[in-house]
This record gives sequence, C-alpha cells and structure tokens, in this order.
Amino acid sequence: MVLLIKDEYPDKLFREDGKRLDGRDKKELRPIKMEVGVLKNADGSAYIEWGNNKIFAAVYGPREVHPHHLAKPDRGVLRVFYRMATYSVFDRKRPAPGRREKEISMIISDCLEPVLFLELYPGTSFEVFIEVIDADGGTRCASTTVAALALADAGVPMRSLVTSLALGIIDGELVVDLSGIEDKAGDADLPIAITWFNDEISLLQFDGKMDLSQFDEFLTLSKEFAKEIYEMQVATLKEKYLGIQENIEKENKNREDDSK
Amino acid sequence: MMDVKRVISKIERKYIKNNLKKEQRIDGRGLWDYRDFKITPGLIASAEGSADVLLGETRIITGLKYDVGTPFPDLPDEGVCTLMAELLPLASPLFEGGPPNNQSIELARVVDRGIRHADCVQTKKLCIKEKEAVYILFVDMYVINHSGNLIDCGGVSALTSLINAHIPEGRWTENGVEWTGKYLTGEDIVKELPLVMTYGKIDDIVFADPSLPEELVSDGRISISVTETQITSIQKSGGTTFSFDEIQMLAKKSMEIGKQLRKDLDLLQYKTKI
Amino acid sequence: MNEEEEDVSSEEDEFEVEETSRELVVPGEILTDDTKNFIPGRGTLLTKDKSKIVSLMLGLKSIKKNYINVIPLKGIYTPQPGDKVIALVVDKNPVKYKCDINSKDFAQLKPRNTIKRERSRMGRGRGGPQDDTERFDIGDLIIAKILSADRLNKPELTTVGRYLGKKNGGIVISIDPPKIPRVIGRAGSMIKMLKNLTKCNIFVTQNGRIWIRGENIENERLLIKAIAKIEREAHTTGLTDRIQAFIENEKVKGGIN
Repeated sequence: MVLLIKDEYPDKLFREDGKRLDGRDKKELRPIKMEVGVLKNADGSAYIEWGNNKIFAAVYGPREVHPHHLAKPDRGVLRVFYRMATYSVFDRKRPAPGRREKEISMIISDCLEPVLFLELYPGTSFEVFIEVIDADGGTRCASTTVAALALADAGVPMRSLVTSLALGIIDGELVVDLSGIEDKAGDADLPIAITWFNDEISLLQFDGKMDLSQFDEFLTLSKEFAKEIYEMQVATLKEKYLGIQENIEKENKNREDDSK
Repeated sequence: MMDVKRVISKIERKYIKNNLKKEQRIDGRGLWDYRDFKITPGLIASAEGSADVLLGETRIITGLKYDVGTPFPDLPDEGVCTLMAELLPLASPLFEGGPPNNQSIELARVVDRGIRHADCVQTKKLCIKEKEAVYILFVDMYVINHSGNLIDCGGVSALTSLINAHIPEGRWTENGVEWTGKYLTGEDIVKELPLVMTYGKIDDIVFADPSLPEELVSDGRISISVTETQITSIQKSGGTTFSFDEIQMLAKKSMEIGKQLRKDLDLLQYKTKI
Repeated sequence: MNEEEEDVSSEEDEFEVEETSRELVVPGEILTDDTKNFIPGRGTLLTKDKSKIVSLMLGLKSIKKNYINVIPLKGIYTPQPGDKVIALVVDKNPVKYKCDINSKDFAQLKPRNTIKRERSRMGRGRGGPQDDTERFDIGDLIIAKILSADRLNKPELTTVGRYLGKKNGGIVISIDPPKIPRVIGRAGSMIKMLKNLTKCNIFVTQNGRIWIRGENIENERLLIKAIAKIEREAHTTGLTDRIQAFIENEKVKGGIN
C-alpha cells in the first residue's frame, strides 16, 4: 500500500518525564473494558477493548464437526480461528487469512485446550471465532483473554479461566502491556498466558534479547498483572447477572417508596 | 428466541405467513416499518473512516482504508471506490467462513451498485494527478450479527463510513505523492445519500425490512436503492415473481420510505470534524 | 391432544429451592476447602490434591445436604432418558429420521418408535406394520421423549405416548435449557400463571424449546416477552410474582384481554 502518512518508528520510546509515549508508567496496563453475551446467535460470546484493540470472540459448541473427517472418536476437537479485519491495521490487510493468523490460531488453541474437558465430548467440536476489528499491539493476548470469557459465557465446563498479556523490553527497560508502537519499535516482546486451575503457563513466546535477571522479573510481573486482568474477567462474567439483580432490587425499592 | 437452523420448521413458515396475511409481524411492526437503526461512527482507530450500524439486531461494522495508485486508463482523472463484505461465522451459525460465497458477494455488489450509480462518491475529487495518481478507497463491511436484512444495514454502514472519512490529502510533487498535512473528509467525498430498501415476499404479501425468520421463509426478495430524486439500482433475487403493479408500488414506496429514513437518520452528522 | 392437561407439578425448580444461594461462581472458583464435610455434586470438581471443590462453570452455588452443586445458567441441552423434547426433523431415510434437539448430537427417531396408539390397537393384519406409524417430513416439529442417551451412541427418540407427536400449528421459541425449570416454576406455579393470564396453550420441554399457541398474535407476543424476561432474570428471586405483575401491566398498556 502507498500510504501518505508513514508508519514511523520514533527514536525514543520514553518521554522526557520518564513516562511511556502514551503516558503510562513502566508497570501500568492500558485501559481494559470487557463484555459478555454480545452476540446472540453464538453459544457464547464476549467483546474486549484493550487500549485501542477491539476484539470479538464467539464460541459454537459442543456441536457436530464440519468437515466430518476432522472428528476424533475419543475426544472433542477444539478449533480456533483468529482473524483480523482488513481495516484493523494501519496498512490495510488482505482479506484472506495469512500465515500469521493461522499461527496465532494454533497458539491460542494450544493455550485454551488445557482448561477444557475435550475427552468428555468425543466426536464433537468446539469452535472459537476471534475477529480483531482494531489492532494496537498484544492482539493474541487480548484474543486469548476474550476467548476464555466467551467459552465461560457459553456454559462450557472449564477447569478455570485463562488470562493473557504481553510484557516487553523497550529502550532496555522491562515494561508491562506493550502497545502497538512499543511492539514494533521495542527490543523484546513476551506474550504469556496463565491457566488458573494449576497456576501454570499455557502460552509463552519470546522474541528479542533479554538477560536472566530480566527474565525472572518478567515471570513475577506477568503473574501479578495477569491476576489483575483475571479479576476483571471474573467481574465481567458476574456483572452480567448481578447487574440485572441490582436493577430489580432498585425497582422494588422504588415501588415500595412510591406506595408510601 | 426463534431457533434459527438450516431447516425451517413448517409451523414457523405457517405462523409467519398466516400472520403476514393479517398484516401482523412477530415483532409488532407494520408491513412497511423499519426496525430501529443505531449508528456509532469513527470507532476504528486504525481506519480512515468507520461505522458500527445496527438495524434491529443485525450489526455490520464497516471500515474505510485507502491506497494511492494509478488510475484505470479509460478513467484517467477518477479515483476508485470498491466494496467488500465478509459474513463472519461470529454472526450466525449459518455462516461458514472461508472465501467469499454467493451471499457475501451479493451483499457487496448490491450495496456497491446503489452507491455507484447514485454518483455518491466524487471520484474526480479522488484524483491527485491525472494519469499518475488517484485514491483507491476500500470500503469493507464485516457482518458481526445476522438478524435479517444484511443489505439495508450494509448500505447505511458503508455510506456512513464514507461520510466519516478522514483521508490524508495528497499532493503531486516531483518526488511522488506527498501529504499536505490536511485531510479529505466526507464533506469532500460524498455527494449523494443513496439508501437501499429491501422487501421480502411470501406468497403474495410483500413487506419491508425482513427480520431473520421472515427472510428465511421468504420466497423472494427485491432491493431498491434511491436518492432523494431517483432510483439508482434494483436487484430481484429468489425464485419467485413480482407483478408489474407490485414493482411500481415498491418503487414509489422506496422513494417515500427513503425520504423519511434519510431525514430521520441525518447521516451527515457523522462527518469527522477535523 | 389437550396440552393443558399435562401435569408438570412434580418438576422441581432448582432455582427456587432454598438451598440455592444467590452466589454466582465462575469456572475454577473455589467453593469450599472443607472436603471432609462436603461432596462434589453437579457442575463441580474435586481438585487433584483433593483439597478443594471448585466450580466447573458460570452458575449459582447450591448446597443440598452435604452436596455442593453449581446450577449452570447457560449451556446446550444434555439428553436424559425420559426427558420430553421438541425435535426438528432435518433429514430422513427409510430406516430413521434425523432430528435436531439442540444438543451436541443429532437424535434418531426410528419408525418403530412412532406407532400411533389408536392404530396399534387394531392389531396386525391391517396392511403392514408401517401402517401403524405416524409419518413425518423434513421441517416437522415433533414432541418426543428421549428413549436412550449415552456417551457413545446418538440419542434415540420415541413419539409413542401421551402428548407426543407432530405439532401442526402454533410457534416454537427457544431459551437456554438450564432455565426451563423457571418457566415451569415451583409445583408448576409459573406455567399455570402464564397460561391463565395470556390464555395461551404452552408446552415446555427440557431441551430449551417451548411450544405456544394463543388466541391471537397479541397474546402470543406478550407471552414471548414474558418468557424472555424469565430467561433474563432466571437467577433472581421473587420471579413468579414479578412476571405476573409484568404481564398484567403489559395487558393494561396494550389493551389486551
């Protein structure tokens, strides 16, 4: 694509005042907003806004496997389809899924599988469709996080939720939650996901250069911030129902007050 | 509430038909009433124009991207605007994903023709340097939820994303095309406001804005695009026939409904303010 | 077939049972670490180290005697023998009908399980055995009973029995299967109230599908609205009274009888 505004990488990823380019501290998450049950035709669904990322996830299943030859006789199959809309990136993406999307689909699938009970669903499939409509760094992590919500919304039995985020190294410093520009211009990118039933790691990738002490710090920080995001996932799932309960209580109170 | 599967149950068909004969619809609408539109413009930070449009529960999020390229040899001073549609599996178990199928192609083409023949997009304004450089606009519609009548929802979504445009303005220099620092907006690009109206037909009853169950039991369908003064595109689909009287009536109805909708929606309010 | 006679009073509404707390739990949430006094029930799991009982899904925590259960709020239908379901015939061949029952598998209906009671009393000899059966087409909605369902085989249906067979009119709507007990209510209180106030025939089945037929479309619309409200508020208390108030209010607003 010939673009008139060039996608330029700045020299420095920290401002004069020590903050990151978007005003955050080194150990600060971007604003995150989550919602479940947004797509009524799917068995389960969720939506997330994470910084400028905007991602939908929908779950169908358990249901019959299409095409049949992919069915397994002894367990269910999990299929994840991670896709990006053409307009979700600065340089328009071609509509057909590319290698990167297929790789990420596989990574997310491997990440979610440990929490599912696929052995209880022989011959059937769970399909997770993820659509990124606006991307700004860490889409695979946000996608994993929103996919876990969609699975829970569908009522699929799970050992626990899964939470994912990306840490990174920019200008030699370890930071939490890389934005798009930090991802592109930074020194290292570390997406990680944690499954809470066993407090273990189910997604881990790394690209860049890092020394061992940074790695230790990275592991500690990732768990701490993943926990924070996990609390948001739990609140989102409960909020859908608690909100309704609160409204009813409010209505009841209003009616009581009116009749006084 | 109504379970949508590939096979439509006989009693569903009967229920919808019998009630339509009495001019009654499940959601309480009249035969010519549209469901509510809800529009959110400019939500996609990465796009140069966008619109999230709900028609009832049908939802289409459209994004606008641009490229700069050489014009077609027979139209050396005109830019190009192309539309595409994706029916996401997220939106319905009826959508399988994969390469464009008949339904997604039809959606893109019907909306495209309504916009094109209305001379909606000022393609001459999309010219940077005759014969050398023009804008190519990509209007990509993504169906996020299917609850019937993708075409009318898509039409408003595509049009609004064009109105919402904020494309970097280019200038031709000896080094190629450079950014002037300013932007082309919907005000520069959009001249007309075509709206497409789709009608379903079951037996001999015709009705506007089919919901999903109505669409699935319809024998046929017709979409008519109109501007304030003219008809700009028609597409009939499905294996049923329409009488001459019906077509005349629908053309007239479309102008009326179109005028009212255009007024109610007031789409120009979704321009990007620079 | 007189749907109104069907006795649903024995069906239990888990949501209204006293032991159900209003506590919402998510997958993996710890329900108790007192594994000596509590037993993991429906929707729960004992952890590998046997130290905790955790929830398997999003639902309401419920303690019955010393069983801890989680009542799910959503989820596709799991066929149980004896359940009544509304099945949609999606395919057929001479040996069976293939039916959609809103579950992970399609169900099978074999002709021998479609024998009409009245006809079968006439005995053999009147044409072949096929003459006794009720025949179905693709697109038919039928009320059937689950004969058998297990992990390895597709569920089997039967239409032999009272209230079972094809539906010719009315309309079928769907809600989340776990919420069906709420539409029935404690000792059938909710469904009785719905029938009386909306003057509709209602047949509720376990796979989340509800058949309704009213005197006119306004009554049917009102009933559909009420059921949608039940589905949305299934996890709350005082539901029957609230739904009743809602219907009465709507009737006044809409001038419905």
